[in-house]
Amino acid sequence: MSDLVFLLPELVLAGTALVLILIARHVSRAQAVAVPVVVAAMAAIVSGWAFTPEASRVGFGGTIASDGYARFFKVLFAATLALAALLSVKHVDTERVPPAEYYALLLLASTGMMLAASAVDLLILYLGLELMILCAYVLVGITVNRPIANEAAIKYFLLGSFASALLLYGIALVYGVTGATDFAAIASAVSERNLTRHPFMLAGLALMAGGLAFKIAAVPFHAWAPDVYQGAIAPVAAFLAAGSKAASLAALVRVCLAAFASEQRIWSEMLAGLAVLSMIVGSLLAIPQTSMKRLLAYSSIAHVGYALLGLIPGTPDGAAATITYAFIYSFMTLGAFGVVIALGERGEDLLAYRGLAATAPVTAALMFLFLLSLTGIPPTAGFAAKFGVILSAVRGGHVVLAVVAVMCSVVSAFFYLRVAVMMYMMEPQGAAPARVPGAVAAALAVAAFVTIVGGMFPDTFAAWTVPPSSRNIHTEISAGR
Amino acid sequence: MVTMYPMLTVMTFLPLAGAAVILLLGDRMARWIALTTTLIVCAVSVPLYLGFDKSSSALQFVETVPWIRSWNVVYGMGVDGISLPFIFLSTVISVLCVGASWTAIQFRVREFYAALLVAETAMIGLFASTNLFLFYVFWELMLVPVFLLIGVWGGPSRIYASIKFLLFTLAGSVLMLVGLIALLEATGTLDFETLAKTRLSSDLQAWLFVAFTAAFGVKVPMFPVHTWLPDAHTEAPTAGSVILAGILLKMGGYGLLRIALPILPDAVRLFAKPMLVLSAIAIVYGAYVTLAQTDVKRLIAYSSISHMGFVTLGIFTLNRSGVEGAILQMINHGIVTGALFLCVGMIYERTHTRDIAEYGGLSTLAPVYSTFLAIFCLAASGFPGLNSFVGEFLIISGAFKTWLWLGVAAVWGVALGTTYMLWLYYRVVMGDRRPQFQGLRLDLNAREVATLVPLALLALVIGFYPESVLGFLRASVGHLLTAAGSGVMAGPL
Repeated sequence: MSDLVFLLPELVLAGTALVLILIARHVSRAQAVAVPVVVAAMAAIVSGWAFTPEASRVGFGGTIASDGYARFFKVLFAATLALAALLSVKHVDTERVPPAEYYALLLLASTGMMLAASAVDLLILYLGLELMILCAYVLVGITVNRPIANEAAIKYFLLGSFASALLLYGIALVYGVTGATDFAAIASAVSERNLTRHPFMLAGLALMAGGLAFKIAAVPFHAWAPDVYQGAIAPVAAFLAAGSKAASLAALVRVCLAAFASEQRIWSEMLAGLAVLSMIVGSLLAIPQTSMKRLLAYSSIAHVGYALLGLIPGTPDGAAATITYAFIYSFMTLGAFGVVIALGERGEDLLAYRGLAATAPVTAALMFLFLLSLTGIPPTAGFAAKFGVILSAVRGGHVVLAVVAVMCSVVSAFFYLRVAVMMYMMEPQGAAPARVPGAVAAALAVAAFVTIVGGMFPDTFAAWTVPPSSRNIHTEISAGR
Repeated sequence: MVTMYPMLTVMTFLPLAGAAVILLLGDRMARWIALTTTLIVCAVSVPLYLGFDKSSSALQFVETVPWIRSWNVVYGMGVDGISLPFIFLSTVISVLCVGASWTAIQFRVREFYAALLVAETAMIGLFASTNLFLFYVFWELMLVPVFLLIGVWGGPSRIYASIKFLLFTLAGSVLMLVGLIALLEATGTLDFETLAKTRLSSDLQAWLFVAFTAAFGVKVPMFPVHTWLPDAHTEAPTAGSVILAGILLKMGGYGLLRIALPILPDAVRLFAKPMLVLSAIAIVYGAYVTLAQTDVKRLIAYSSISHMGFVTLGIFTLNRSGVEGAILQMINHGIVTGALFLCVGMIYERTHTRDIAEYGGLSTLAPVYSTFLAIFCLAASGFPGLNSFVGEFLIISGAFKTWLWLGVAAVWGVALGTTYMLWLYYRVVMGDRRPQFQGLRLDLNAREVATLVPLALLALVIGFYPESVLGFLRASVGHLLTAAGSGVMAGPL
């Protein structure tokens, strides 16, 4: 029974979702639902923070962990949910999306993310990711009258199912070789029976890496991202770009370090390939984009490459750098999407940003801040995050990766700052944009706050970023058996 | 010397506070707030020069606060004899930039002055940093306001120029980021003084030198990565050109002195020869290209490449007169080229042309202007009694000590410099009056005279009494050259 405390944040969110579904028929306006959702997210943050014991523990028969790592991500996902809920208010009303269902799906997807981040068993991990992505399919296609959204949802569903199948097949192969699905047992089976080079083990790893690479949108498993982000309404795209990417990254980091620590040389080579391709392809393909959502999609692909840099050496410090990156990336991406949302319909067209600094100086300044952070210019949080992962890469001896990363950020400076060029250096087009709704402004303020504080004082979040530890969990399991 | 308050921090962040006030209060008050802020920063800096102990090479006015524990980075500020003149130059140039923009900037006024003040924060902060992390933060921070200054308030192809500027400098500085991280990884610290005492392996030094020189070389700019400069300087508004020529280029030379020489001495000696050759090419090639220019602003921009070639030449001679001359030359170039850009801006505001062929006969139409232009053109060509003469003389004597042909190239560069500066003066000021200038009030008003007088005075003071700057340098340069392990080469001046 005490194990349920581990899942308090998940229970809060899932419970709120169920209540929303029950009262769905009586809700017509987004604002009426958004407020309770934000409150639920806050409650999830508080419960995740207050009820997670200091020491790492494993519950539910060794499938779900309660540790600093899980707590960190639960707080991040709850915050992402709260910001996404605020950002959605306007679109849900104008696009005639049923509000209660929409927010229930957001809540359930966040629940799935939290499960994925705290899973120490491959099946629970799969379950969490599936819960997240099933809700995401529906969220992408929720504007049933827009053909582009339907197309995006079908693409996402087909490719996503294929990737989930890859992941599941990989899990099955690993289970076949090791006879276990929980991370500690896999780790001990691999080291005791010396399965590191077992062909099925390698195949399983490769398949799992492919499945997870799809979910984090790493090249060459990235093709869905631009279409899906473009087809979905902007708040859903923001939620996917920040939340689902961070959740899949959380799962990937824990799987690599907790279950397959002894295979580090194999997966770090695979991840290095994914990282290099993602950084280069993401940065280069962002250049010709004319849709802001597609630009941010390619930017998110490049950022996955940077985030993976920290994980490649397989050290706890590096993993901490990666999850810090995921944290900061989530806020700056939510911020950039927030500006797109604040500008409404015209926010999605790159050319519509011309002269924005003259017509909407504060919105333009915020966008400039987020773009600088995405480029990695100090003193913004994006710089601190990039510094952390590049430091880990250099510590691991991957200087070439570090050079590729910084060169790609020069390329990325071109397309990010082209938006700044349009906003500040070109003549305004059309009328001034409408006033930014209060909910969106609040979300932008939070994102900007994190972007600035995280850059000025990079230590702020360092204390919270706890890398997953394979050793603790392992010893506790074997002691319990 | 102990002060009651963290003087350098106050100086650095006062402009930032001023920028925030400007953004809140709006266009009407903007230039007055900017002027007040920059003047206060100047006033605050006075105790710095009075209290500075010239006989010591140690960092003074040091402030240290723990900052980022996970990377062992502190917030450290301090000055020595090398950074002090640059801080002085930054504060003075900032005031003059506000003065020069008083009537020239007519739209987005508050954003303009805010950007100017953010740039001042970055400049002072960079020269006052005592560790590489803080240095890098200010280095990159500097990009943002200058990018906006060029791109928003610049000339016809401002957008091209601003993007080119940004991509060039960013490509250089990200390599410095990798170098910085490799240095942190190898030594566990980023503090300049500690790093200077650490002996790194020669291989690592060589790689780090490549990484750091990529950043500094683009900023200086050294041949062959100089191509962003003519576009950026030409398209920028007057204040932007002045900041670019006056301070931004010096950041590269300062980086060489602060990082390359003390921390990577073996690599510096290893790469000194190619660097000297590149500098000599920059001097001569830059001067020839300058001769061919038809646009006043572009001419001065190209002359900067030649003049900055003297700076890197002096630095890599690795002897006392070369290095002292290089620092003096950087200060002088900031004063003289800054002043020349101000002069061009002032006349452009009235005639709206930068084509040299359209000018002529200004001596009777604008006698005051012509006098100032004469002073600065002579100063730029290294006329004895004016500031640049001393710096160039020191560098050339350093070059002759190192390698005869370098001295020859440098003298050749000076001769060409005299040619293009005096020919420019001849074409603009002498000759017949131009009919299209009839009826224009071409001569300077009191505000413009007040903007130019401080620079003219500095040019004269340094020209007649170079000790006013060299006195600050002596101890620190001696320490630098000893630390670089080449103290034996430092002959008596």
